[in-house]
Amino acid sequence: MTVLAFDTATPATAVALCRSGEPPLEARDDPAPGRRPGHATRLLPLAVDLLRRAGIGWADLERIAVGTGPGTFTGLRVGIATARALARARGIPLTGVSTLHSLALGGLAAEAASQPFDAILAVLDARRREVFVAGWRPSALERGGEPFLSARALRPEALAEQVVELGLSPVLVGNGAVEFRSVLERSEALIPEGGSPLHQVSAIHHCRLVRALPGGDPADIHPEYLRLPDAEIARRSARP
Amino acid sequence: MILALETSCDDTCAAVVSTDGEIRSNVISSQGVHDRYGGVVPEIASRHHLELIGAVLDDALARAGASLEQDIELVAATRGPGLVAALLVGFATAKGLAAAHELPFAPVDHLHGHVAASFLAPRPFEPPFLSLIASGGHTLLARVGDRGPDFDAIAQTLDDAAGEAFDKGARLLGLGYPGGAALERLARDGDPLAFEFPTGERRAGLDFSFAGLKTALLYRVRELGEAEAERRRADLAASYQRAIVEALSIRVKRALLETGLGRLAIGGGVAANGPLRERLGTLEVELDVPPRELCTDNAAMIASAARYVDALSYPDYLDLDVYASGEQVLSAR
Ligand SMILES: [Zn+2]
Repeated sequence: MTVLAFDTATPATAVALCRSGEPPLEARDDPAPGRRPGHATRLLPLAVDLLRRAGIGWADLERIAVGTGPGTFTGLRVGIATARALARARGIPLTGVSTLHSLALGGLAAEAASQPFDAILAVLDARRREVFVAGWRPSALERGGEPFLSARALRPEALAEQVVELGLSPVLVGNGAVEFRSVLERSEALIPEGGSPLHQVSAIHHCRLVRALPGGDPADIHPEYLRLPDAEIARRSARP
Repeated sequence: MILALETSCDDTCAAVVSTDGEIRSNVISSQGVHDRYGGVVPEIASRHHLELIGAVLDDALARAGASLEQDIELVAATRGPGLVAALLVGFATAKGLAAAHELPFAPVDHLHGHVAASFLAPRPFEPPFLSLIASGGHTLLARVGDRGPDFDAIAQTLDDAAGEAFDKGARLLGLGYPGGAALERLARDGDPLAFEFPTGERRAGLDFSFAGLKTALLYRVRELGEAEAERRRADLAASYQRAIVEALSIRVKRALLETGLGRLAIGGGVAANGPLRERLGTLEVELDVPPRELCTDNAAMIASAARYVDALSYPDYLDLDVYASGEQVLSAR
């Protein structure tokens, strides 16, 4: 199966092209700190680069896969709007992949690490001193299995407490793990060093998950915001 | 045929228009969720756009009896000005649709879209003319020399947009959001000469200003007291509406004189206002008043404008971004 996968839930624009029997191709844009994400301007050019490198065209794609977050709201919408449009225009199925799931799957490569672990937690910076997090047992990850810790937004302190309460020795990956390292390392968590690619969302892992996930109608794929809009939070708290 | 998407504010729009300006379909989904927040909330509008755009697009193609693969020669979308997060939903969708079939793509300025509503069949209104575009987001006078995007913006608002003045007045009078249509309805039972509100007649120049008007209504309501203001709500609405209409028409008249143009076209949500249409009808010029659904935000006008911009061929448009402000138009002054 020929899959074009991408993710725009974090500041990165991550794109991959995966074909059966061929090594996956990846292209990405990681904006320097403080620079605006390039989702709107880089996503399609990166996808076209990969098609060229593979020597194929849009008509050869059999599946689109897109990261559904959680992550930055605008980034998610650019990714999902683009994915739906491509899948609809080509008449091919679209698969939604949890960005946290893909990140955690990539974290399995930490196996080479010095100490053993019994869980992988994907931790993304959710701003406002919160993280988006979900956790998997390593055995469940490959099979596209369900997380034992479902996706949620938490203060890093609360996450550290949960890790202790659950008696876990996890690996934590993602930009949220790096950002809040000092708080999160109070638990038994292992966090790879800051520059490690384990912290990057890579669409290659989306491709791996696509094999375990169904493809369907583009209209059925929705972003996982996990948070209400500010105006709605304000409105609800203003009501008596 | 041209497929166009428009998502610059809170209406999710798709349309199919033939290259000679015939509307094959013009689908508008008004979100109607913003009244509880007292205004359009960008994040909420953007979430709704993403939920609605697919169905709106399918509907536009189905009603036109058109298929993307066989009938669409050009894809267009509003690039700005507008709410960035909202614009991105339509823009990313349109770029994706065009890319997948390697079609050319036309990025359209929203204000050019409003002007280009006048170029649609069956009665295209030919430039040169003066264009008044008035809505909740913009208030603008432009000298339109041809059908292209390089029209000359000669006046703008210094503070609120005309539609904002309607909405803010409506809120002071206890009407919901958006308040323009509700205020117009209430004003039907009122006396437009009951109260005097500023029209900016004595202020020179072509630029608009509505902030003082809104403040004047606020003071008048306070002076009257709650009970009396309630009793005279219709008079207040009618007088306030008259002031907005006069403020607009005074400057339209000046601009016609200054430019020597004898033709006028109007667009934008405020151009759907009955008394404004009547008032401008009394000016001794040739007037183009598009149907209401082509005055308020819609994608048929974006498709119309797309016919007169330089479309980019695949893949030259893939890295285009949207823009929030109208600087690109106003810098033409
Ligand atoms: Zn408009």
